[in-house]
This record gives sequence, structure tokens and C-alpha cells, in this order.
Amino acid sequence: MSSPHILHFDVVAPRQSESLPVFTFAARARDVERFARIERAGRDDSGTLRGFQRPQIAGHIREIRDYLEKPGAILPNPIIVAFTHSASLESGPSHDGVEGRFGRLAIDVSNGAPGWIVDGQQRFTALRDLHGSDFEVLVSGFICDCLEELQKQFILINNTRPLPKALVYELLPQVSDLPPRMSNRSQAALMTEALNYREGSALRGMIKQQTNPKGIIRDTVIQRLLMNSISDGVLRLYADDDRLLLDRGVNFVSEFFHAVRHVFSEDWEDKTPKTSRLVHGAGIIAMGYVMETVHVLTGAEDRDAFARGLRHLKGRTAWSSGEWAFGDERRRWNGLQNVPADIRQLSLHLVQELRRAIPRNEEVS
Amino acid sequence: MKFVFADSLDFVDPAYDFIADRNGAGRTIHRDDQFPHEFLDTSPYDGILVSRGIVGDALIPGKYTEAQLMRFRREGARRFLRYSREQFPDSMMMGDCGAFTYRNMPEPPYRAQDTVEFYGDGDFSHGCSPDHLIFDFDDQDAERSEKEIPEDIRIRFEITQQNAAEFLREAKSLGRRFVPMGVIQGWSAPSMAQAALNLAKMGYVYLAIGGTVPLRIEQIRRALAAIREVLPKQVRLHLLGFGKIEHLADLERYGVTSFDTTSPLVRAFKDSRKNYWARSKAGELSYYTAIRIPQATENNRLKVKALQGRLDQEEARQLEATALNGVRRLACREIDVEDALDAVMAYWEKLNWNDEASPSKRVQALDRQRRIYAQTLQDRPWEGCDCRVCREGGVEALIFRNSNRNKRRGMHNLHVFYKHLQDFRADAV
Repeated sequence: MSSPHILHFDVVAPRQSESLPVFTFAARARDVERFARIERAGRDDSGTLRGFQRPQIAGHIREIRDYLEKPGAILPNPIIVAFTHSASLESGPSHDGVEGRFGRLAIDVSNGAPGWIVDGQQRFTALRDLHGSDFEVLVSGFICDCLEELQKQFILINNTRPLPKALVYELLPQVSDLPPRMSNRSQAALMTEALNYREGSALRGMIKQQTNPKGIIRDTVIQRLLMNSISDGVLRLYADDDRLLLDRGVNFVSEFFHAVRHVFSEDWEDKTPKTSRLVHGAGIIAMGYVMETVHVLTGAEDRDAFARGLRHLKGRTAWSSGEWAFGDERRRWNGLQNVPADIRQLSLHLVQELRRAIPRNEEVS
Repeated sequence: MKFVFADSLDFVDPAYDFIADRNGAGRTIHRDDQFPHEFLDTSPYDGILVSRGIVGDALIPGKYTEAQLMRFRREGARRFLRYSREQFPDSMMMGDCGAFTYRNMPEPPYRAQDTVEFYGDGDFSHGCSPDHLIFDFDDQDAERSEKEIPEDIRIRFEITQQNAAEFLREAKSLGRRFVPMGVIQGWSAPSMAQAALNLAKMGYVYLAIGGTVPLRIEQIRRALAAIREVLPKQVRLHLLGFGKIEHLADLERYGVTSFDTTSPLVRAFKDSRKNYWARSKAGELSYYTAIRIPQATENNRLKVKALQGRLDQEEARQLEATALNGVRRLACREIDVEDALDAVMAYWEKLNWNDEASPSKRVQALDRQRRIYAQTLQDRPWEGCDCRVCREGGVEALIFRNSNRNKRRGMHNLHVFYKHLQDFRADAV
């Protein structure tokens, strides 16, 4: 009875706008493909703009696909499709005396897919890559009169603010089975949390997080130090095991900072990044490399051993006054910024000072 | 004659999944990756050269991340590159400053002392003095004397010599296991010979010739001849950045002890035609062209087209999948060469690599490309090679696509080149 060119879907049609009928239903990716297309923003030969979507983001699609391949995957947020023509919504029979709640959508696909994907193109593309999947996705749609209205809805729907990165990082440790891009950060976030809240930690309460705005040292800075060590330093021994990272890894870093606080107490206590470069991004990250070097040169693992190594730097630093001598170049203490070149300069300088100062016979212990 | 490979973090993920086009599960960069000497069954070179410019520091941003750079300096080159003395006895671990990276500065950012520190941290076996590139090279019989050349060239010459003198003194702190190499820079064959002679008088027993990258082989010959003529026999010579690797005989003739190059690896993805190497029955290097099937949504050029709205990504993905499938089915002998080429060329045409060309020119280009690819697909060179790249990946390394394929192809080329060199050496004896 229905022509192959007309698709029908039973839909829920919540009462919203009179002029823009809204509905929702479930469909498989290959069904969606029949009635909706992605129209990317571009210009024709005369320079006129058409379409609105951005291009695919391959990495993002891959992450979604990886997730969807897992048996427990769900996708509760719908793909949004808009129609300007070729679709009509009929109210269904009333349930419970409430009219217009359910309906039937008819889409004419005789001239190709008439709908436009307004939101969810990356999800849709990932889903389509899962060949032969029966996974159903929620489709929410609306019918509008003209393209201008559709563009407006596109902007309204997509003009959302992403979560602050800092909050995402703080939430990460609560979640398992994340894409690899996030799990590196997640391990560092996990350790940062422990360093900030564990009793006896040298950095307890000192790390500025979304939920600890009074902290002095930025969480992203601590995370950078930890990620550097997890990828290329001593913590890489524990990188495959979160429990080891949390136990020995956190302890190792905490012991080092106990020594730092002790040896450089005048540059640490009651200081802020503005008044001492030791608690500033550049100083913290450079000290991460000092931690690695002292450990490699002397085998240090506890605060006393770290402190013995760090004492070699005493009198050779300019954390909160004076100036640094980097070869021929001199830099005022507050001339150092949290930029890659300054961090490298400071790191290489401190490590070289240590190498010169720590006698060979201390190297094996 | 030793072949030293100039590394710039050229590793591949051995667990790379070609079908899903992704790294192995849980792959950690560097840790799970393999350098050519790890990936191939035997090392395809006699040593590795690492430039300060590639490692980078505060003055020059290199290719290494900050954490890698600090680790390199902590662990040394051999541990970082997993190229130990025990496993690779007699191999060279050579350092230089990477003069090309600071060619535009009035003087090198590096001094003798910090360069010695870099070589000491890196535990190098050989290291070059900090040199400064000279780009001019005089024609034969038109060589200028020192008085005739512009001041900036003369200054570069003097800086290089001065640094070499200081470097030789400073390098004593690294002990006898370290071999300092004085770098020769000059604007002509006679000036290079003069530089070489000065360095030998300073006490250098191993010299490195710099600045030869832009030179033609005939110019290199003249420079080598002039240098050899004035130099005591026992002084060894290294040729820095020697890309003209088809001319090994010239190096042999002038008593070159070692040379470094990245050519076999780099040409795998920088040369649009000669990017997969083979050896002819006569023992000559010959070349095939890898089949270009870029990633529809990740290739930058295609991304730009998509941004402009000139490429439908859904369609491109379809053509990409068909092209990949075509080549793979050909490799399994399920379809013939023409069918595979149809699939490859359908995508190729859509990519429209040359926007400006007229329709007739495009048809010609398409035709030409099809013939080039036909050669590769007909000859099936991946079946005739026993290196690990071809053994494990088969046709995948002949697909010009992403770093894991392209660098694998580069490793295959290293393998082929090293075999070529070994035969050459056997002949030379």
C-alpha cells in the first residue's frame, strides 16, 4: 500500500511550536541514509555559500566507532534531521485523551534524501561504518518552511559551550575504558587528584582545580609533569598499571616535592606563580626533569635522597629574585614564562648544573 | 665505506592494522614503535647520525617533544634509539649540529662547549664541530681567492675553522672513546682543501665535509679530489648529507671512509615517482611508483577541498574504499590489473591533484599515471623482496598513504640500498 518512494515512521510528536512540528523516532543508520544527507558548507563557482556542516573529523569518528563496537555501547542523544519539503506529519489517534502526542511521518524519497542532518554527522558517519549493524539511533526531526529557518536552527542547536577542559580532566578518573587520547590524560588526572587530596602528600591542597580554586599550582601543569614522566621518564615503568601509578608513582612524586619544599623553602612557602617561578608552570615542569635526573644519577627515591641531590642546585637558582645565567644569556627571575622555549632553557640549565655538580662516585648508590 | 643513517625519529608501529588503518591496541609512541634496525631482520646501516637540530633545545625547536629531548639527554643516543654497542659492535653513533636548521642566522647558535656537552650527554662515539653553511660553490677555473669573496662567506668560513679549533680542545674532556670530527666548509674546491689542511694541522684525524647537499656530483668530485690531494692519507673523510647515492663509486675513488644520508627512507614519501626501490638483475638500483590512495578524511589536501565544499566526503570515502579494495584483491589474485587500475584511477581522478590543468591535460595526466601504476601492479615487486616490510605487509607498503606505510616503504628502501652497498663493497675489494 505504501509506495517504495515514501518512507513511513511512527513517531512521538511532543507539543512544541505550532509552526515547526517536532518529532522523534528510532531508525538504523542505513534507514537514515535514505532520507537524510549531510550538506557541507562550501561555495559554488559564483562564490555563493551553500550548506552548513563542517567536514568530517576522522579521529573523532574513529573514537565514536571504537565505542560503538563495544557490547555495552549506547547512544542516547539523537541525530537531528530537518526537512524543508517532502515530509509531512499526521497526528495519530489520541491516547489517554491527549491529542497530537503520537503521529506518523511520511517522507518522500523519490528525488533522493530530502532531509538535512543538522546535528550528529560524526556519530552518523561512525554508525554507518559499522557495516550491517542493527544498532538503532534516535532521530529527532522538525519540519520548517525554508532554508533560512533551517540555518537558524542549525546555529542554535550547535552553538553550545563545551565543558571546561579543567572539569573534564577532573571527571576523567571516575571513568574507565576511555579512548587512548583521553586515557593518558586520565592517568595524569588520577595522580593529580591523589597528590592534591591524599594525606601526607607534599602537594596537598596546593593544586588549583575546578573544585579547588584556592590552589596555587595549576592542575594542567602538574598533569604535564606527570605525562612527561609517564611517556619518557621514571613513571613509564608503571604506565601499564593504574594501581602502581597511584601507589608508587604518586609517592615518588610526593617525596620529590617534599624535598623541593625543604631545600627551596624560601621560594616555595606562601609563594604564588607571580612571586616565585618555582611554583609557576615553567618551574614545576623543569623540576620534573630535575626529579628524573636526580633519580637517574643518584638512585634517589625518598625525600632525603632527593634533598641531597637538590642541594647541589642551592645558590644556583633565581626562583624569586636575581637572575639566571643561561650560557651567555642572562634572564631576570620573572623573565621566565610558561612557554616551550623558556621551559626547555630552564630544564636544560638545571639538569646541566646537576650533572656538573654531582660527583661521579655518587652516581651509583 | 660506512653508511650512516641520519635519523629523525623514523619509526613504525609493528602492530599497525592496515585494514582498520590504525595503530595497534594500546600502542605507546616510541616504546612500542620500532626503528629500522629493530624492525628489519638486520640493521640496514653501519651507524646513526643524530643532529642537534633534530633533537632541539631552547634555541632551536627540533622534532623531538620536550619530554623526548630531555630523555635523550638523560639516557644518551644509544639507549634512546635502542642501538646498543653490544648489539651493534663497531657501529658509529655520530652527532652533528644540523647546520641547515640555522643556516639563516648570522652565526651558529651553538658553541664548542655546549656542543661537547650535547655529545657527552648523548654518549656519542663521533661528533662534528659546530659549522656554518656556505652555499656558494665556484665553477672550475673561476675559483675566487679569499680576498675576492664577500665578507659574510669569509666570516662563515672563519667561524667554522675557529669553532673547530675550540671544539678539539673542549672534546678532550670526553675521553679517548670519543672521536672529534672537524667540519670542512668552503666556497670552492681549493678553499675546501685549505680548510681540510688547516683542520688536519690542528690535530683532527677524521674530517667531515659539509655543505654538499645542493652540489652537483661533478662539484662534489672536484671538492673531494682537491681535499684528498692535500690531506695526509691516514686522515679519514666523512661526507655529510650525501644524497647522490647512485654515485657510490666516486666516494670510493676519493677514499671516503663514511657518509650519511636519509635518502632511501625519505624518497619513499618525498619522491613522487621513484619511491619503492628494487635491484635489477645487473645489480643496479631500480624504482617503482607506489599507488597513491590518500585517506579521504585525514589527508590535508582533501580536507581543504572539503572545507571549500569542492569534495563530497561521503563520495570520496566510497572511492577510497573501492581503490584500497581493488589493490588488495589484485594482490590476492582475485581480479586483474585493469580492474584494480579502474578502481585506483577513479579515486585519483576525483582527487584532481592538479587543479589548474585543462580537461585535455587532465586526461593525459590520468593516462600517464595509469601506465606508471600498471607497471607496479603488473610486476608485483613486493613478492620478490624478502625484507620484513614486504614479507608482512605485502602490497600495503606500496600504497602511498600514511606514515606507517610510507615509512615502512622507506625501511624497505634502506634494506635494498644496504644490500646494494654491500655488493658494491664486495666488488670494490
